[in-house]
Amino acid sequence: MTVTLEPSAVERYRLKLRYKVCYHLGSSCPDLEDVVQETLVRFLRALQSEKIRNPESAAAFLNGICNNVIHEYRRRRWKEPVSDPDICRPELSADLEADLLELRQVIALVMTQLSQRDRDILRAFFLEEKDKGEICRVMGLSDIQFRVALFRAKERFREIYHQSVKRNTTAKH
Amino acid sequence: MQFHQDPAFREELIRDYLLNRLDADTAEAFESHYLSCDECFEALSTSHILMAGLGQSKIELRRVEDVLVLQFAGPAQLTRQSFELEELQRAFQQNDTKVLIDLGRVIKIDSAGLGQLMSHYSHVVKKRGMLKLLNPSAEVQALLRLTRIDSVLETYHDERQALQSFDAA
Repeated sequence: MTVTLEPSAVERYRLKLRYKVCYHLGSSCPDLEDVVQETLVRFLRALQSEKIRNPESAAAFLNGICNNVIHEYRRRRWKEPVSDPDICRPELSADLEADLLELRQVIALVMTQLSQRDRDILRAFFLEEKDKGEICRVMGLSDIQFRVALFRAKERFREIYHQSVKRNTTAKH
Repeated sequence: MQFHQDPAFREELIRDYLLNRLDADTAEAFESHYLSCDECFEALSTSHILMAGLGQSKIELRRVEDVLVLQFAGPAQLTRQSFELEELQRAFQQNDTKVLIDLGRVIKIDSAGLGQLMSHYSHVVKKRGMLKLLNPSAEVQALLRLTRIDSVLETYHDERQALQSFDAA
């Protein structure tokens, strides 16, 4: 059996690979898109030459390719002399500061729409990085209450964030 | 690994992945999984943005000798119902008597924010302590002047000077 990919699936992979590469190399990596592209090219070649026969293993195969490309990139960068150390540490640009502020405003908006208990759960989980058991014990919550509150808070955040992004994109056009 | 069986487990896994706390095998398994699972990728992206946003409102506390210095991690608004105001309130649950608040990243402040600064000031003074401000922006400084809060709360633009002023008093 041959595994084939729709163009939309390739784009979905691209988005996720970009995320993974950012995670490993940092969002300021100047060659981020090249690493993603190289991964996809190798993956598509492997598909063409029918190296992947089981569709269920395609993602693991792709992940393996991406790990190799990242590893090769790091080795190459390590060998290259760094001409200007400042290049590696870009200052926060005005755009980034504006994005952070926008993100803060969305967070503030979401927080006003949540109950104090839900806010405390979000804070304890994401900001104080406490584990579920500890949060439940301290706040006197059951496992289900914790799950519901976390799910509700994240969903609310996702909705408001996407609305805000959509509104800003429309405004920019 | 079953990523869909327990949503709370998945949330913890995602958070630990974002905090780089997973062991290599678990991280690898999760990455292979989210490359093929849109639902988990969406959950991951949402948590990432949420954590980045919440992290911006975090207040970093550090001690320079006996002075507690409070500083916002990201651009902050000390306004009614803002999360940063809540964070500032929490930061004051410490029992310090020498406190310096760095307002360098505070871009907006309203009556609620000013009220909270004054309330913290009164609280510290009651304990025979001192509270001072550092690096307010021109806009915040103008508001402090307009409300005459600057006549009560000492303001500095140089951290070393501000820290030394606690000893001088």
